Amino acid sequence: MKVLFDSQALEINPSGDEYVAAIDDKTLSIQVVRAENGRMDLLIDGQHVTAYVSSDGAKRWATVDGHTMMLTKTSGAKRGVRHDRAGGLTAPMPGQVRSVAVGAGDAVKKGQTLVTIEAMKMEIRIQALKDGKVKMLHVKQGQTVEREHILIEVEE
Amino acid sequence: MFTKILIANRGEIAIRIMRACRELGIKTVAVYSDADKNALHVQFADQAVLLGASDPKESYLNVDKIIEAAKKTKADAIHPGYGFLSENASFALAVESTKLGFIGPSAESIRAMGDKAESKIRMTAVGVPTVPGYTLDTGQETSVRELVKEIGYPVLVKAAAGGGGRGMRVVNTESELSEAIESARREALNSFGDERLLIEKYLADAHHIEIQVFGDKYGNLVHLFERECSVQRRHQKIIEETPSPLLTAKLRAEMGKAAVAAAKAVDYYNAGTVEFIVDPKTSKYYFLEMNTRLQVEHPVTELVVGIDLVQWQIRVAGGEKFPFKQGDLNQRGHAIECRVYAEDPAKGFLPSTGKLLQYIEPHGPGIRVDSGFGAGSEVTHFYDPLLAKLIVHAGNREAAVQRMQAALKEFIVHGVVTNIDFMQAVLAHEDFAKGKVTTRWVERSLESGSLTFGVQEFALASHMIAAALADMVFVGAKSQPAVSDETDPFSPWKQTNNFRVSEK
Repeated sequence: MKVLFDSQALEINPSGDEYVAAIDDKTLSIQVVRAENGRMDLLIDGQHVTAYVSSDGAKRWATVDGHTMMLTKTSGAKRGVRHDRAGGLTAPMPGQVRSVAVGAGDAVKKGQTLVTIEAMKMEIRIQALKDGKVKMLHVKQGQTVEREHILIEVEE
Repeated sequence: MFTKILIANRGEIAIRIMRACRELGIKTVAVYSDADKNALHVQFADQAVLLGASDPKESYLNVDKIIEAAKKTKADAIHPGYGFLSENASFALAVESTKLGFIGPSAESIRAMGDKAESKIRMTAVGVPTVPGYTLDTGQETSVRELVKEIGYPVLVKAAAGGGGRGMRVVNTESELSEAIESARREALNSFGDERLLIEKYLADAHHIEIQVFGDKYGNLVHLFERECSVQRRHQKIIEETPSPLLTAKLRAEMGKAAVAAAKAVDYYNAGTVEFIVDPKTSKYYFLEMNTRLQVEHPVTELVVGIDLVQWQIRVAGGEKFPFKQGDLNQRGHAIECRVYAEDPAKGFLPSTGKLLQYIEPHGPGIRVDSGFGAGSEVTHFYDPLLAKLIVHAGNREAAVQRMQAALKEFIVHGVVTNIDFMQAVLAHEDFAKGKVTTRWVERSLESGSLTFGVQEFALASHMIAAALADMVFVGAKSQPAVSDETDPFSPWKQTNNFRVSEK
C-alpha cells in the first residue's frame, strides 16, 4: 500500500514474515522483532532500529536514533509525485506562476525567492533550500501549475 | 524540625522539594491551580489545596491564598521553590509574621539584593567588583550622555528594581540612548512600580558564571563552587555545568571569596547564588546580582559537591547548624544539566503546548532527571515550558558530555516539540567542546549559520517506515484518518520547508 507523509510517498507491503518498503527507488526489507506501547524494535535490512511512534489524528510523532520528527499522513497520492532530493522544488498547491526571478544557470543563495505562485489569494514564495545553481527551470510566468508540479531544479 | 511543609510552587521543583521532605520524614502539602488539577506534583504530595484559577495571579502568586492554605492544613513551614514568590520580600515577611517557617533567607536579605542599585552599592562597599555603571534617578537624562561616554558603548539599560531580563535594553550607539532610557523607564514603572534605572557597561563576549553559597543562622557561610551558565537564549539559561571550563583554581578561589563577602554583606543564610559575568580576555569578574533562592540548576552542584541542597535548606531553616566548613568541600568529577523545554528552536524558541503522547526518561549510571511531567500530562501556556531537567555526572567534562549526548538520545517526548535536537547540536559544537561559549553565542551562531540543528528538509526514510509500520502493527490502535489534500494546505505541521506564505 502507498502511504504519503507530507506528500512524500512510501510503498510498504507485507511479504511473508517481513515487510518490504520502497522509498526513493530504494527497497528495504523490514522485520518487526517486537512492538508494544508505541515502541517497535525493527530490523531494517538487518540493522537493529528502535523506533517510538505516537499518533494524534493525522499526525505521527516518530523517534528513531534519538531524533524526533513529526510527520503528517496525507492521502491521495497523485501520479508522478516527486520530491527531487537534488533540489527540485515543487508547487505546494495548485496555482498560477506569478513571477520567475531567476534563469537557468543563475547562482542562487539559500533562502532566495526563486518563483512566486498565486493561489487562493495568497502569494507563495518558493525559496532556495541551499546555495547553488539553477539546473533547470520548468515553468514560466502566467503558467498554471498543479500541486507537486516541479517548478525548478537547483544543483549544488 | 518541621513536621509539615507547604510547597508554594509547581512542576519539577515542587516534586524535587517533596522528595527532600520525604527523606526527612516531613509531610508535604501541594498547592495548585485549575490548570494543574491533574499535575504530577499534586499527586506526589500528602495533601493538596486548590488555590484558584490558572492565571498565576489567582494561584501561585497569591500570597493570601497560599498562607491561608498553610494555616488550613496546619503546615509549619513554606518552601517557595524558584520563580513565583521566591524572591518576594513581602511574601517572606508575611510568612514570618504568621509564625510559619520560611525556607529561604530573611526578608531583609531578599529586599536588599532585589534592589539592583542598592545591592551594587553594598557590593562596592565590601570590595566586590561590579560592572562599571551608574544609577539613573528621575530627571537625570541631560547628564547621562557624558556619563555613558565615560563607560563606553555598548551599554545595558535595566530596571534598578528588576530582574529576569525585564526592562533590559542593549544600547550600541549614542543615538539609541534616549529612546532606550524612555522605554526602559516605562517598562520598569509598569513591572516594578519603580522607574530608577541602571546603566552599565555591556560585556557582549562574557561568560555567565555563578557561585553557590550556603549558610546557617549561626553565621556559618561557605561557597559550593561555581556553575557555568553561558549557554543562553534571550537571557535564559539552557545548559549549565560545573566546574566551569574557563576558571583556573586561582580565579575560582577568588570568586568564591567574593561571593561569600557579597552574601555576608546582607547577613545571608540558607541557599543563595551570586552571579558574576567574567570577561574571558582579561579574566576579570564583575558582580551581576544575587539570587536569594534555590536555582533551577542547583543539581549540578549537588552532584559534584555531594550535598543535598534542598535537604539542607530545610534543615537550616529549622534551626540546624550547617556542619561543613569551606575546607571540607571539594568538587568531584563533572556535571552538566540540560533543560528540556517544550519549545520549537526552529520557530524562534516559541513555546509548544499540548498533551504528552509519549514521555520516556533516560536511565543509567550518572543520570538524574528532575521532572514534573509524565505521559498524558498537559503542557499549557500558563506556565514556564520547562518539561524536565536532565542532569549527568561523570569523571571529567568529556565523559559528562558523552553521557549527556547518549542520555538525550534516550529521552522520548511526543506531543510537543522540544529543544532536544537543538541541545544535541550545541553539545556537538566545537566551541562548546573548547569551553568557548559566551552568553550571546547561541544568538550569533544561529545568525551566522555555524549552529544548525534537526530541521530536515525531507522526512527521513526510517521515520516514515516507522510511522507507516506503527499503523499496521499496533493491535487495537485503529488507523487514524489521514488528512485530505484539500484541508488546510497551510497547516504548519506539514513542514514543507521550501515555501513561505504571506497574505497578498
